[in-house]
This record gives sequence, C-alpha cells and structure tokens, in this order.
Amino acid sequence: MTKPTVASDWLCGCAGCHMSLLDIDERILQVVDLVDLRATPITDLKEPDENGVTVGILEGGINNTYNEEVAKRMRERCKILVALGDCAVFGGVPAMRNLVGAESALQRAYVDAESVDAEGLIPADPELAQMTRVRAVSEVVPVDVFIPGCPPDADVIFYALAELAQGRIPEIKNDKLHWH
Amino acid sequence: MIKLTIDGKQVEVKEGTTVLEAAEQAGVFVPTLCHHPQLTPYGGCRLCMVEVEGARTLQPSCTMPASDGMVVNTKSQKVLDARKFVLTLIFSERNHFCMYCQVSGGDCELQNRAYDEGMTHWDLQPNWTPYEVDASHPFIVLDNNRCILCRRCVRACDELVGNATLGFEERGAKSFLVADYGVPLGESTCVSCGTCVQICPTGALIDRQSAYQGKETDVDHHISVCTECSIGCIRDVLTRDNRLVRLEGDWDAEPSHGLLCEFGRFLPLEEDRPRVVTPLVRKDGSLKAATWDEAIEAIAAGLGAGKGLAALASTRLSAEALAYFKSFFGDKFPADTVTSLEEGAATASLSKLAEKLGKSFESSLDVLKDTEAVLSLELDLVKDHQVAGFFIKRQLQEGTKLFVAGQEDNALAESAKGVLPLKPGSEAVLLAKLVDAVENGTDDPELVPVAEALKAADKPVIVYGKTFAANADEIALDALLKLADLTGAALVGVKGNANSMAAAQLGLEAPFKSENASAAFVVLGDEAPSAKLTKALEEVPFVVTLSAYESQLTGGADVVLPVTMWAEESGSYLSMDGRLQKAIKSLEAPEGVLTTLEALEKVAGALKVQPDQDWKASLMARIPTIQIQEA
Repeated sequence: MTKPTVASDWLCGCAGCHMSLLDIDERILQVVDLVDLRATPITDLKEPDENGVTVGILEGGINNTYNEEVAKRMRERCKILVALGDCAVFGGVPAMRNLVGAESALQRAYVDAESVDAEGLIPADPELAQMTRVRAVSEVVPVDVFIPGCPPDADVIFYALAELAQGRIPEIKNDKLHWH
Repeated sequence: MIKLTIDGKQVEVKEGTTVLEAAEQAGVFVPTLCHHPQLTPYGGCRLCMVEVEGARTLQPSCTMPASDGMVVNTKSQKVLDARKFVLTLIFSERNHFCMYCQVSGGDCELQNRAYDEGMTHWDLQPNWTPYEVDASHPFIVLDNNRCILCRRCVRACDELVGNATLGFEERGAKSFLVADYGVPLGESTCVSCGTCVQICPTGALIDRQSAYQGKETDVDHHISVCTECSIGCIRDVLTRDNRLVRLEGDWDAEPSHGLLCEFGRFLPLEEDRPRVVTPLVRKDGSLKAATWDEAIEAIAAGLGAGKGLAALASTRLSAEALAYFKSFFGDKFPADTVTSLEEGAATASLSKLAEKLGKSFESSLDVLKDTEAVLSLELDLVKDHQVAGFFIKRQLQEGTKLFVAGQEDNALAESAKGVLPLKPGSEAVLLAKLVDAVENGTDDPELVPVAEALKAADKPVIVYGKTFAANADEIALDALLKLADLTGAALVGVKGNANSMAAAQLGLEAPFKSENASAAFVVLGDEAPSAKLTKALEEVPFVVTLSAYESQLTGGADVVLPVTMWAEESGSYLSMDGRLQKAIKSLEAPEGVLTTLEALEKVAGALKVQPDQDWKASLMARIPTIQIQEA
C-alpha cells in the first residue's frame, strides 16, 4: 500500500505555522516514515502533484487573486484539505486590512510610509495579483480540517499529521484547541 | 417546593428558582455569557438555551422560572447546535481577533465557551466594520470590537454601583456601548470603580495597568482585605514574580461582593513614592544609611528614659502592630502621649458614647443595602468610603430616599432628594429639630420630607463619618440616639482608615500636642503623613519614624527605620462595622526591610521591655460601638 502523500503551501501568512510544524523536531522522521512529503514551500517541489495528493495543507488566508488560484489548485489536487493556523481558518492578522480597506492599506504602505523618500508609487502592473478582501480559506474552497492557533502548537500539528497519516481525521479539541 | 428533572436528574428547588439555578443545584453546567451571579438575569445572549419538554422552542434557562414537573434536557443535539449557532453569531457580529487579545488563552469567557463546544472555526465572517477603541480613561480601555453586547457592564454600573454611567445607544446590529450620552469614558461621570472591567467577559473592557501582564494562570492570587478605608472590602491581590499585577474584588465576599473603588482597585498601582530601603541615622546634620543595630542604638540613646515622649501610630497598621505599640508606649515604656495619627477624630466621641451606654449601638453596612430612607450626616460617600455610597446609590432608582445634611461641597448631595444645610458645630441643633419634627410634626419645608421619610421607612438608616464624629458634642449624640430610637433607624458609623476601629478599641484616641514633646516616635507604616503632622514634628528635638516611603517627614527625622507596605505583611483589620478580617502578605519586601511589628520588637529589645502580644484580647478591652465578629 502506498504511503499517503502530503503537500502544503502558504498564502497570506507569516510562515509561522510552517515554523511551528518544523518545531516537531526529530518527530519529522516519524512523519516521513508514515507519509510521503511532496511539495511544500520549504522543500524543493513547489506545486502539488498534478495527479493529486492525499492531504493538502494551506497556511495563510486569501488576500489576492493569486492566493485564490493557489487555494483552488490545492483543493483540486487533494482529497483532504487542512486549513492550518488562524489566518487560514479565520483570516488572521492580515484580515485586519478589511477594517481599513485595500486602498487605504496600499496608500499607507507605498505612499505615506516613513521610509518613502519620493512621492511613492503604488504597484499597478497588470501582471500583479489583484488584492481582494482578506478571507479565510473556507470562503473560497471547502475545507475539511481546521487547525486554529497562532501558530498551532507543534504538538498539535504532529498529532494532526499522525492522524491523517493513518487515515483518520484529527479531532482538535480540549488542550489541542486554542486560537491564539 | 418544586420538583423538576434536569438531564434525568431529579432536583427539588424553592419557588422562584430559575431553570439555570436549578441546573446548578443539580450539578449540571449550562454555559452562559450575559449571566452573572451578582446581577439580575438578563436573557440577552441566548447561550443558556435548553430543551423543555412540551415547549414549542428552546428556552433561556437563566430567566425561565422552574415549574413543578418540568423536564429539562441540556444536552440534546438541538441544544448543542443552538449553542454553536449562538456563538457563531456572536463572533461574527464584531471583530474578535484572538491572536493578540490580552484575555485570549483562558481569561475570555467567549473564547472559553467556544472551546467548550469544540469549535475549531465558525462559518460566518466577521462584520469588518471597524469599531472605536476608547482609551480616554486613565485606567480603563474600552474596545468596542470585542464587545458582545451582553450588557454586564451596564447592569453592574447600574445595579451594583448605582452610577449608571454606561448605557447602550441605538438598537439591533447598531447597538453600541456608550458612557453617559455618548462622551469618551474619560470625560464621563465614571467614578473609576472598575466593576465593569472585572465583570466584562471579554477583552472589551480592560484595565491599562495590568494589560498583557499575565493571565489568570500566570498570576498568584491572595484573598486579602483592602486597607484603603475602614470598610474593608475583600480584595484579591494578583501578583506575578513579586510584582503587583492587579487588584480585584471577590464576588462571593461580604460586604461588598466584588465591589471596590478606585482607591482600592487602581490607585494602589499608581504608587510612586520612593521606598526607604535602609535604616537612616542623622549624623552631622544629614541622614546617613546605617545598619539596623546602629539605628536601634541611636533610638535608644535618643529616647533615653522616655521623658517628654509622644508616640503616634498610623491607623493603616495591622491590629497586631497597633496592640503591640499600645502595650509598648502605653504601658511598658510609657510615653506622655500615645495615640494614633488620626487622634481619634473618627471614633473618640463614639467610643465614649458606647461606654456611656454600656453597649454597642451601631449596625453593619448591610443595613445600607436594603433601606427606604437614608440620612447622611456630614458624610460625602463620593469622596471616600465609596462602596458604602454605591450601596445607597443603587437603590435610589427603586424609590429609596436619600437626604444629605452638610456643607455645599458634599458630592453625595447630587443624588439626594433633599439637602439640609448644616454648619459644623450646629449638629445638635439640627438633630434636635429633626427629633421635634418626627415627634410633633413641623412646618419647616426642609425638614418635612426628611422626617416623613424616616418615619415611613421600615428600616431607615442614619449614616455619619469622621466629620460628624469630630464635631458632634454629647447633646448632638444624644439627639442622634433619640432620633434613631423614634424612627427605628439603624446607625452606621463610617470610620477613617482601615484600622481606625482597632485604634479606638485600643484607646489610641488622644490628641497630640507637639509643643510639649521632646521626642516623637512615629510609626507611619505606608501612610503618607499629613502636612500638619510634618510641620508639628519639625519642632520636636528628636524624631524617630518607621516608614515604608520617603517623605518630607522622614527627611526631617533623626532616625528612620524601613518597614513594609500593605502588601508585604499579613495582619488583622477591624472594619468600621466590626468585622475582624485578615490582610494576607502578597509580596516579599525588599531586602533589609522589616515588618512594622518586627521593627517595634527590635526597638523594644533595645529598650529592655516586653510589650504584650495578645492583640485579640486587647481589642476586646472596651465596649465597641458595634459588635465585633470574626470574619
């Protein structure tokens, strides 16, 4: 029986959830015993396999059209989609941009920022992704497993990976459940 | 009695019990948010919904009265789904960002309820309408993004404090918490009692001083008694790494049930006076650091045989220290004057009255909680002893009539139905007039409402404090007793400081005349000395002081011994209404600083005297103005 395959990607996030994943330390050896780690932002393959993976993990929320594409692609190519971390589950810290709007955020970042010495220029190249409202991954594609946390504990991530590796859906509750 | 079944358990409860209370009795936990044991049930959050057999829909258990034969199910799928739905709606109503909120991780009741239901996420997105953060108040920050509209703060400000500063404007989704008619909290009628902060289930109302300094799980709790006035509210002292984090009220404790005032809750954390950390001895005109032994020697040398000695002690000290002090300078090493810094202002005339009567005559603060008429004699319960003021103010809306007799600057008069002008010294005249008005009626339009109210009330209360006690002569006090007798009024005497009552019981009420003193032994503790005292001591040739903080007084003294402040020692306190309670040590004092009692023992050792240690017996030495009970 072939090992389940796992791919991950990060969207509008800080990469902290992947760092927390790495905090499982030597237990990663146990994980790769059980699963085949395919594409992740921290390994060499960058796209989930075209013929699909068993588990897809997404960190970060959706904040532009590119994030939407990546999320949709991951959803298409995986059986079980995991939203990892508060950004993916709720929108997270970047979602605060919704309180002021993309326009105002861009203005502040590219024109009014203290480090801008000229008039500043808001990037507007047509090839750039379009900003959207910051959303949880589940607002764009159906999500199967939600692992909140900012970041989720390494122990919780290890538990979730171990369960998924053995064909079970992890139950995130009691001391495994925290949103901060 | 009513019999009902909850989750299969039979439970018997009194008429009027709500289903939630019955569930509690049966040991069944029903989640709530807007509910609080100190407040009238509200039924706003809908989290406590339960299934009641035969009812068309789910019912809110917090407001529903239990009825005989009721069958309740708190764990059906319908109930569990409803809970998740209610929480989802609450979360999506405002902007709840748990990641960086200071109550996240155990202190947020909203989050905890969602964790209880195992919610890893919810399906509705937040509002995304930015709500204001009002940080205008010196102690309280109001973040409307975190508000769940439970109205606990509004109800507390109204039902518990009687201030009614907080309220809601608009309706439905536009409902918004405001202070007064929509002014920043820092410019409102808020009295900074902080009850709203303590009762807020989320991080919507937080206090600046302790924000981000430690969650409930990070701090140590010490249930102690507040030492800021003579009421003696029970106060939880939260510390972390030997640092004061926050002061909270204890919802279950008498008499205040969670209430504190700004003096008890916020101001102690603003303390910024420099500490005295080493003994100091005056050498060649200036104070120099010395060892304890050197300082004690200097004291013994300076006091000599104790001729012309005046010994004064702060009424903030523990009963143990005060009793030892009394035995020391009243008996074993007798001083010409041995008294408290208050000089009996709040208590002397009343102690004498108790002795004259041969019995106690005052009542506990509890009488203020359920009365139809209150007459306040020269007492401003807005300025100090605020919690007693809260007890009165919170009944005014229900028809309780408050009358204030005193000077124009009494802020309590703003809430009064009638104000009687009273010049200090004419208390006897006013009280005689009132006695006459009650006995024989009167035409005086100022007195009529007071007399009527006192007569009509079942349990009227006459409350007075330091000013009245200091000004009233025997005639006034006799008239007071007569008035209380005629109207059935309870008498409540607010004293001065935390242990004014203990000092009174120990007889530490004499006046201090500095002109005759050739030496003064001033046990300040952590009290800030008055300008009057400091000036008086400038004339005294040899001054010893035991003080926690530096001041002009310590700067002018000849020997200064460093002692602990309120949080650094345990001790007993006798409240204004006779409750004997314990303050618990919550912090370690700096190295080299001793407790007041330890310092006094060292001095006694050098002077070769052994003052008595049986402080409890000493407290019972005279008839108290009110019965003493151990808490």
